Amino acid sequence: MTTNIYSSPLAERYASRAMLELWSPVTRHGLWRRLWLALAEGERELGVAIPDEAVRQMRANLDKIDFDAAAAYEKRFRHDVMAHVHAFGDVAPAAKPFIHLGATSAYVTDNADLILMRRGLDLLRSRVLDVLRSLTTFAEKWRDQPTLGYTHLQPAQLTTVGKRATLWMQDLVLDIEDIDYRRRTLPFRGVKGTTGTQASFLELFQGDHEKVRRLDQLVTEKMSFPAPLPVTGQTYTRKLDAFVLSVVAGIAASAAKFSGDIRMLQSFGEMEEPFEDEQVGSSAMAYKRNPMRAERIASLARFVNSLEPNANQTHAAQYFERTLDDSANRRLVIPEMFLATDAILVLMANITSGLEVHPAVIERRVAAELPFMATEQLIVRAVRAGGDRQVAHETIRKHSLAAARALKDGADSNDLLERLSKDRSFGVKLKDLEGTIDPKRFVGRAPEQVDDFLRDVITPLFAGESARSERAEELRV
Amino acid sequence: MLMQVSALPLTPFRRGKVRDVYEVDADRLLIVATDRVSAFDVVMGETIPNKGAVLTQITAWWLRRLEGKVDHHMLSANTSEIIREVPRLRDHEQELQGRAMLSRRTTVFPIECVVRGYLSGSAWKEYRERGTLAGEALPKGLRESDRLAPPIFSPATKADEGHDENITIDRMRSLIGEPATTELQKLSRDVYEAGRAIAATRGIIIADTKFEFGRARSTGGEGVEKVILVDEVLTPDSSRFWPADSYEPGHGQPSFDKQPLRDYLEAEKRAGRWDGNYPPPRLPKEVIDATSERYLDIYRRLTGHSLDPNGSH
Repeated sequence: MTTNIYSSPLAERYASRAMLELWSPVTRHGLWRRLWLALAEGERELGVAIPDEAVRQMRANLDKIDFDAAAAYEKRFRHDVMAHVHAFGDVAPAAKPFIHLGATSAYVTDNADLILMRRGLDLLRSRVLDVLRSLTTFAEKWRDQPTLGYTHLQPAQLTTVGKRATLWMQDLVLDIEDIDYRRRTLPFRGVKGTTGTQASFLELFQGDHEKVRRLDQLVTEKMSFPAPLPVTGQTYTRKLDAFVLSVVAGIAASAAKFSGDIRMLQSFGEMEEPFEDEQVGSSAMAYKRNPMRAERIASLARFVNSLEPNANQTHAAQYFERTLDDSANRRLVIPEMFLATDAILVLMANITSGLEVHPAVIERRVAAELPFMATEQLIVRAVRAGGDRQVAHETIRKHSLAAARALKDGADSNDLLERLSKDRSFGVKLKDLEGTIDPKRFVGRAPEQVDDFLRDVITPLFAGESARSERAEELRV
Repeated sequence: MLMQVSALPLTPFRRGKVRDVYEVDADRLLIVATDRVSAFDVVMGETIPNKGAVLTQITAWWLRRLEGKVDHHMLSANTSEIIREVPRLRDHEQELQGRAMLSRRTTVFPIECVVRGYLSGSAWKEYRERGTLAGEALPKGLRESDRLAPPIFSPATKADEGHDENITIDRMRSLIGEPATTELQKLSRDVYEAGRAIAATRGIIIADTKFEFGRARSTGGEGVEKVILVDEVLTPDSSRFWPADSYEPGHGQPSFDKQPLRDYLEAEKRAGRWDGNYPPPRLPKEVIDATSERYLDIYRRLTGHSLDPNGSH
């Protein structure tokens, strides 16, 4: 850890090793070299006289990057791409005359950004799946545990603990669908040259338009992208960044909603995020267990969501074929949104795999509210015992207000049923009234909705998952 | 002559990973199969000798066998004949040898018609985890690579980018209408069944395959649109070919054509020498030769002849 200068908390504290490596100079500049190799190979396949040895040397040095040498060149040239062209040329001398032939900086910088964002989406996707796996187990286990459902943050009716988890899960499934669409259709910037007209490549191929088109296509295929953007300025349209980052921000928002629920449930005492044996909740209040992981999710998600509009603003601010005012901004915004969302999902996976549920607290809280929620059922019970519906309603209303008042004045429990059983005008015994308000009768289809959701949405999702790697090996079928 | 990319004096119509299509005129296309090969979604740097010619000539062989059973797009797969028809190509005779097919132009249905005769690949995964295929329930207790009788028709949309997406037959109906859905399904099953039966006598199992169909104006002059089989037909690239002599259900089967390539790449991955991204490893000559030999062997087994690059028989 660096202690004498500022360093990013995302790197020092929050993001995973895998996501940090993805956005590292080693990965980025390794991609630049791969892009230079793909360009040289493509040009060679289309007849440009690039010797075998040049390509061989490039291939042999894709990851042997001398960053000190590159830094020295950059100091001289004040240009990072040219610095790396020269550093690459030093270790692949036979290729030096051909590296970057016909290309402009955006060929490596923009295409590498697209590759990095696509890999970033893949990594986030695998983390979302981890969370969904934990939540699947959780939803199954608690599918029919009645709990208070809230609207307006007021107890409304009963739902189940598992059903609530499916709400979190569904948000993540929608995020996955969004990732998949964006991942599948994300285009490549391709081989377009300065201002995007491909003039330098038309020169290279002596006016052969078809070869220029093919080079764009060939390099795109080599990098396993579905298609190059049909047209670009010097850079790819920054709209693509906004599209991708909107997906990333969507994940953060889903996680933030989840974290809010967890924080409140922990406040109610119904549920708690995992707590390590030696974890300290508060430096002063030693008894405390704070939902600090969920709070951190909220904290990071707010950061991510505050950056989302930035991407569209960068797109909006571009003039003509390119401006450079996107550069420093993208350098921060793109990696940081991925790193922070990665950190969020690591936290969410941790919380969801170790959520503690306290059924006793949940049941006590249900018992305190349920008699009030059971008005309809209690009326029906009274009428079945020979009562009058209008009279029963009035009786319940009167005793409900009194029982609620008593609770607010310090009563231990909700005694509405006892009050009713003692009221001769209601005419139903306590035991029968208690039978009427079995919590499981108030959860509607919540347990079955959990079953349906897991069967119809989650199982196919995971089935598709194992088929995915298989599909990648399949050619056409 | 090996071909990595084709460059012909014709207007390009569509470029694929493996095949390039050119416009000849308003009624005809030229389809050229290159020798490029991809595996694990990555295009290899090397080409496989004879692969393009084998793919084209296998399609041509099948279409001749299927004459009368289904209308198809092939006008000629004989390079000399094609050059007589399209004299602009005469300087390219050698590079086109065997790999070019002159075809009728059609309006292609946006559906991949997949027929599965054996339980494999993504179909096996779906069955194992959900007991279904293309969303329909299958009998219990099937094993990987088990034969499906009757074969199952599972359409997919043709995605320009990335992988095709499996769809239900209902969805297919809503896309292209009931009559075309029924006809494409019937033709797909018929052609697959005919192909499966012929291949079986040659020691090849065609586990599953993909067809494409188009509508062409009938040459009968009445302006009747009829459905014709287009694209490649029952080739190792459009189908899963297994050697029948080693067939054994209960696990995955080796691929007739690409197994040497896949084995090599898997070993490179396991050894940590390849991360699955560009650039793929250089393919040793033995792997290239073994893969090429596989393609030639399939051609020989199916047709009973060695490949004649002229495609004249």
